[in-house]
Amino acid sequence: MGWRLALRPYVLIVPALLLTCGILYPFGLGLYYTLFDFSASKPQPDMVRFENYETVFTQEAFWNSAWVTVLYAVGAAVVETVLGVAVALLLHRSSLVGRVLEKILILPLMIAPVIAAIIWKLMLQPSVGVINHLLEPFGLGGVQWTDTPTGALLSSIAVDVWVYTPFVAILALAGLRSLPTSPFEAAAVDGARWWYTFRRLTLPMLWPYVLVAVIFRFMDSLKVFDIIYALTEGGPGDSTVVLQIRAYLEAIRFQRYSFGISYTIVLWAVVYLAAMVLVKHLGKIQRKAAEVK
Amino acid sequence: MTMRKRLLGWLADAALILYFVFALFPIAWMVILSLKPTNELFSTYFSFSPTLDGYRTVLGDSEGIPFVRFFVNSLVVSVGAVVLSLLVGLPAAYASARWRFKGSENLMFTLLSFRFAPELTVIIPLFVLYQKLGLFDTYVGMIWVLQLVTLPLIVWIMRSYFADLTPELEQAALLDGYTRKQAFLKVALPLVKPGVAAVSLLAFIFAWNNFVFPLILTSNEAQTVTVGALSFLGGDRPKYNLTAAAALVSVVPPLLLALTIQRYLVRGLSFGAVKS
Amino acid sequence: MIVLRGISKTYGRTTALDDLDLEVREGEFFCLLGPSGAGKTTTLKTVAGLEQPDSGTVELDGKDMNGVEPYDRGVAMCFESYALYPHKSAYDNLASPLRSPRHRLPAVQARERIGETAELLGISALLDRPVGQLSNGQRQRVALGRVLVRPARAFLLDEPLSHLDAKLRQQMRAELKAIGAVRRTTTLYVTHDSVEALALGDRIGVIRDGRIVQTGTREEIWYRPYDTEVARAFGRPRINLLPGAVAPDGGFRSADGEVELPIGAQASCGTQVLIGVRPRDLTLGEGPGHELTGTVYVTEVLGRSVEVTVRLGEQHVSLVAPRGDATGLRPDDPVRLSVRPENLLLFEADRPERPGRRIGP
Repeated sequence: MGWRLALRPYVLIVPALLLTCGILYPFGLGLYYTLFDFSASKPQPDMVRFENYETVFTQEAFWNSAWVTVLYAVGAAVVETVLGVAVALLLHRSSLVGRVLEKILILPLMIAPVIAAIIWKLMLQPSVGVINHLLEPFGLGGVQWTDTPTGALLSSIAVDVWVYTPFVAILALAGLRSLPTSPFEAAAVDGARWWYTFRRLTLPMLWPYVLVAVIFRFMDSLKVFDIIYALTEGGPGDSTVVLQIRAYLEAIRFQRYSFGISYTIVLWAVVYLAAMVLVKHLGKIQRKAAEVK
Repeated sequence: MTMRKRLLGWLADAALILYFVFALFPIAWMVILSLKPTNELFSTYFSFSPTLDGYRTVLGDSEGIPFVRFFVNSLVVSVGAVVLSLLVGLPAAYASARWRFKGSENLMFTLLSFRFAPELTVIIPLFVLYQKLGLFDTYVGMIWVLQLVTLPLIVWIMRSYFADLTPELEQAALLDGYTRKQAFLKVALPLVKPGVAAVSLLAFIFAWNNFVFPLILTSNEAQTVTVGALSFLGGDRPKYNLTAAAALVSVVPPLLLALTIQRYLVRGLSFGAVKS
Repeated sequence: MIVLRGISKTYGRTTALDDLDLEVREGEFFCLLGPSGAGKTTTLKTVAGLEQPDSGTVELDGKDMNGVEPYDRGVAMCFESYALYPHKSAYDNLASPLRSPRHRLPAVQARERIGETAELLGISALLDRPVGQLSNGQRQRVALGRVLVRPARAFLLDEPLSHLDAKLRQQMRAELKAIGAVRRTTTLYVTHDSVEALALGDRIGVIRDGRIVQTGTREEIWYRPYDTEVARAFGRPRINLLPGAVAPDGGFRSADGEVELPIGAQASCGTQVLIGVRPRDLTLGEGPGHELTGTVYVTEVLGRSVEVTVRLGEQHVSLVAPRGDATGLRPDDPVRLSVRPENLLLFEADRPERPGRRIGP
């Protein structure tokens, strides 16, 4: 009986465990491949140990990609956080306009990122693009949006912001709605100004919710692929080749499988480390917020 | 004071409207673009003679791109992935919510790490593996790899729903004379049904919206709308109006479903970290 | 009959049950009394098979229940959280045990039984309502009904009256034991309310920190409490406990030297002790037994009687007197008190690690 009882949960998770192994297997296989020089032109690979990683870290292309990735992730996460929290605060006022608009807040978020990139590509496109047409009266027509290195990166970030700002806004709004009302009533009775209330009450208590959103957004944008693939394909030049795009080019375009996977393993390690740091931070913030409440 | 307050209110509303123009204009522009006839594509912006020809072309498979089949493929692999994840994930979510046992947390965190793992880490080896196994460009292959998207979502969120349910309900059922299986099916499951529905739809949306898996692991037979829509941009002469039509057709299912599960989105999007 | 032997249960580092022994006799109404966190609910769930003890055995009607699933133990339990199925009506909640594979009562008979039970608990009018629409008190009665509706080897009731309003609670307390099913069935009743325990229990078990401290009839618990904690748990106002020491002649001498009682303590001279006397056993004015003198500190009218707090040296004692005897008492008035020697309880002094035990037979 004792062992049957202890076994019961395992029986229930066995299918999930098997499926998980089915996903872990290729991951392990990939890790194994990185120790070889496996490519389409060399189907019988030789063991090269850590040579792939050495090449990755000594390549200028890697450091360029890493830099672009960080710019993209930080840029997108910061803009989305600020804009998302602002939108949430405005919606939380729950004016008539806000109540109507809130219902359609999620629309961009539910559009596949690749489709979003297509949409923006069409809008930014020099010949049929509507953005330059709309900017013309302001003397800003003819901007080469995705054809300059800076423009391409900013455009990609703009698409990310367009898709994912609602994500931050939705979580922040849920946070705002779950805040206790008594501290705010007390502050109002004390005659506190809006800015003081916001700095001392709203923000510290809201921060854990926002941080969940930031963690999700930051880690997701570290591994951005769809948006850049559809919008710029990494161009012009190498200006938007983020790490996953680089890995794609190496592994699929140039069919250097082992080398391409090495890139993704490095990225995986970065994401993992970022997650550990951020989640630890989240724990601290949540404890602080609990004290404020 | 009240005057100032009212002014601030208008300003706030104006700011909101500004954001929503930014959020909605691209979608509106897609609708406009998709209704343009090809010969007016480059010569007009907002005033043109609208036509449904673009949609007819896209859904008539006439450009050599079998978009209807892609649509069906998306449907099959997304539904398949969600069903498999539910079958496998519900018992696991229940077990890890109800019992503390060795390995449970490890499994949960492995699944969570899938959510944040760069997809290519798994796909490139799978690309090699699938060609050996004959799973390249097949439904089975796609449903398998989509588990990376759907399984963590379903297990994590359902666990948070089950954890919210007091175990005493099932204990009462046991003492009423029901077996554990019956207690799960008759008591626990009906109570989390709205959660199951919401998370299934959300998982469906994410599976449907996925791009990188079908891009690399399919070529034609099992290709989905996200990759299909992009292919209208390829070729010598990009067909912008058709691209817009294809893009719109492919976002209709997720958008419609998303509007039905608004209430449950917060928990779903945050993997159960935030409850509303 | 329910027998628990040497039951221990820990959750991580906290010990819920610590070598607990308990015996509930056939047909008996047994009250388990203790503060929250003492292990009352865990005890019930262990009997029901919902919790697996780390060690020890559970026997029902003489059969070892190790390895027997909850649905095969034939016990019915009323949860403190009600544990009603929120998606079903009150009727379906009551019907749940009758429809289960264990009982499988035909619908007509089930309806009859549910009708009778609902009548008994005054919830007939609520049967069609979803439980979500019921008040806490109504839910609690439905939860109790789900237990009473079926035959069971034992009823396990976890604070089944705690959420009723005061009047209904008093009424249900009076009626509960008269219910036929309850009279016939071995019942283990958990409560934190000593009045309830005294009113209902054929026998009472006092549980503390996962152990049974004392088991006995209400008289045994009242007149021969195991220690100061048990003495404090029963009776309102609480028992008076005066600190002092055993004098050379075996009498009691209070710490401030103001109170002396010749009691013939069975303890060596100088032992630190507490002497206990219940407020209703102290009489105002002269009477049989020992006499004490003090001054009135405060009086509080409790309906027909009055609680008088009297200063004895540095200590305060309270007593309950008929209203007539206490009229005209003002603070600082001198008063005489008397107490019969048989109503005095002697305890060891409380220690940080455990309350003082009663001294004497």
